[in-house]
Amino acid sequence: MNKKAFYVPVLTITFIAIIVPVLLMVLWSFVQRWPWPLLLPEDYSMRTIRELLFGSANAFHLIVSSVSLSMTVALLGTVIGTLTARASEFYTFRGKSLIRFASLLPLIVPGTVLAMGLQIVFIRLHLTDTVAGVILIHLVSSLPYCITIMTDATRALGPQLEEQAIILGANSFKAFWLASFPNMIPAFLASLNMGFIISYSQYFTTLIIGGGRVKTIAMVLFPYIQSGDRPLMSAYSSFFIFSGLFVFMILELLIKKLSKETISNETEC
Amino acid sequence: MKKTLKIVFTLLMIFVMIFTMAACGSDEPAADNEFDLSAAEWSEIVEAARGTTVTFYGWGGDENRNSWLNSTVADYVKDNYDITLEVVGMNIDEILAKLSGEKQAGSESGSIDMIWINGENFYSAKANGLLYGPFTAQLPNMEKYIDLDDPETLNDFCMPVEGYEAPYARAQMIMLYDSAKVTDVPANAQEFLEFCKANPGKVTYPALPDFTGSAFVRNLVYELCGWEQFQTMAADKETVRAAIQPAIEYLKELNPYLWNEGKTFPDSSTTVNSMFADGELLFHMSYGPFSAASGIADGSYADTVKTFVFDNGTIGNTNYMAIAFNSPNKAGAMVVIDAILSAEIQLTQYATLKELPVVDNSKLSAEELASFNAVEIGQGVLTQEELLAHRLPEMPAALVPIIEEIWLEEVVGK
Repeated sequence: MNKKAFYVPVLTITFIAIIVPVLLMVLWSFVQRWPWPLLLPEDYSMRTIRELLFGSANAFHLIVSSVSLSMTVALLGTVIGTLTARASEFYTFRGKSLIRFASLLPLIVPGTVLAMGLQIVFIRLHLTDTVAGVILIHLVSSLPYCITIMTDATRALGPQLEEQAIILGANSFKAFWLASFPNMIPAFLASLNMGFIISYSQYFTTLIIGGGRVKTIAMVLFPYIQSGDRPLMSAYSSFFIFSGLFVFMILELLIKKLSKETISNETEC
Repeated sequence: MKKTLKIVFTLLMIFVMIFTMAACGSDEPAADNEFDLSAAEWSEIVEAARGTTVTFYGWGGDENRNSWLNSTVADYVKDNYDITLEVVGMNIDEILAKLSGEKQAGSESGSIDMIWINGENFYSAKANGLLYGPFTAQLPNMEKYIDLDDPETLNDFCMPVEGYEAPYARAQMIMLYDSAKVTDVPANAQEFLEFCKANPGKVTYPALPDFTGSAFVRNLVYELCGWEQFQTMAADKETVRAAIQPAIEYLKELNPYLWNEGKTFPDSSTTVNSMFADGELLFHMSYGPFSAASGIADGSYADTVKTFVFDNGTIGNTNYMAIAFNSPNKAGAMVVIDAILSAEIQLTQYATLKELPVVDNSKLSAEELASFNAVEIGQGVLTQEELLAHRLPEMPAALVPIIEEIWLEEVVGK
């Protein structure tokens, strides 16, 4: 099949379904009034930007706390995901398939039910209204994705490279670090991204466990969406999307640089 | 290998169990070393609250209210009582879910101090022991500024308040129209029907159980069935069904002339608000009595938008502030609530948020009254006197969900 005949419609649909609404949302952030049937807004204003930056919610503080919380979740999720993947791929033990299945359970149980049930446990453990509690509950939601991604990557790579390294005299950590890790960087990136985005977009679990004390962008955004103030919710949503994208870009750059360095290190050795 | 794993696993399980149990046991009871709050003098309460932090949980979707709380109110309590006010935006459903979770877990010291609440939510929270009280009798500003015999001070949706919540602001149902497009506004339910017939597809109301849609339907019920009988009506579905039958017939007759021929209704009052702002609808209703002024001021409404009410009046209610049963700082919460009841704060709420104040005008000093009267409320609104002259009481909270149910069964799409 002609490649162009395939790509052009796909790209067009992507553009209409994803890019146009986002652009529209950015435009709506500056709208003051847009009555039907005008094609373009009647009036523009900077009100929402003022409220976003200098309003009751401190945008800068929000983005720092939100991103660092979600990054922590993504890192922890990826580490746990990698360890789980290695355990279930390289070792045999009783209840292995059960553990594999259990790792997907948070996807099957609705998040709301999970949060409501865990709330009582968390209260007893004095984890409610704390950042640690929120990180834990976000981990529960992110882990199925991290584990699945890392399991696939671990399976695809197999234990052979590490075995080779061990035969050549490396200890097991060094074998992982030098043989598997550089090869799995794309998977780490995927897992980090997934963990980040899942945590970044959590609302209900943050609300129930964080009790409104742990503030993330999603937490502040949600009431505005319900309030029906379209310019303000567009401004917050754009802020949410672009801050997430920004983190993705930084991650991608970092990982690219890292993989280049490890590869060049390897050749030097 | 297998054996070690088993031992490790067992040890881990034991550890987790001990950890959980220890955590349960360490729930220390609420600070008993504090004095008995319900018997304390006001000066002692103010002293105990000095230097503390108070959290105020409530709906956070109104940017104007958020910044008013975070600046005006927070500064006021900081300067006068050295209290730090922390405002947390959260829907009342989630606040109550959080509190009942804490109640279930036996937590004696939570994180919520003050709650913004009213109506059915107050009724269920009080019935389930999620609120602290009674406390309002100890607040000096209750006596100083509030009409203690006002039915809205005594009852919330006909449910006795019994000192478990203090008034915060007053709301009243009003209707909006654009005077550039509409000249004659309906003065009662019959004229409203004529209005819809003359403008087919240009009028609708939010689907129940939306707060505003529900109040609008109750208002039509009052118009057609009278309001007095509902004040003491038993919360029995068949009784209510029989009582509101004329209104149900009326709503069914109305349906074909509504937006989308009444087959569907917009999901919320915010959607209706957007449709009205866009000019898709000619008629809008709101629980914010001065919402025309704020809409015109922020530019979302045309300058020609105006407010009206039915001649027989519209439903008004009060929203309140309560204290959570496990509030870690009940004394602080009482001081902040008392501060919000003061004429000074109520005046700023009236002026900046355009909410009806809860203070009793006859208790205000001449100076205070003059500053209330001097407030420029903005364009397109009715005056406070006009509103209060057309104010009808809410019906008992327990009837509200019954009417919503009957509406879903018999009106929508019929």
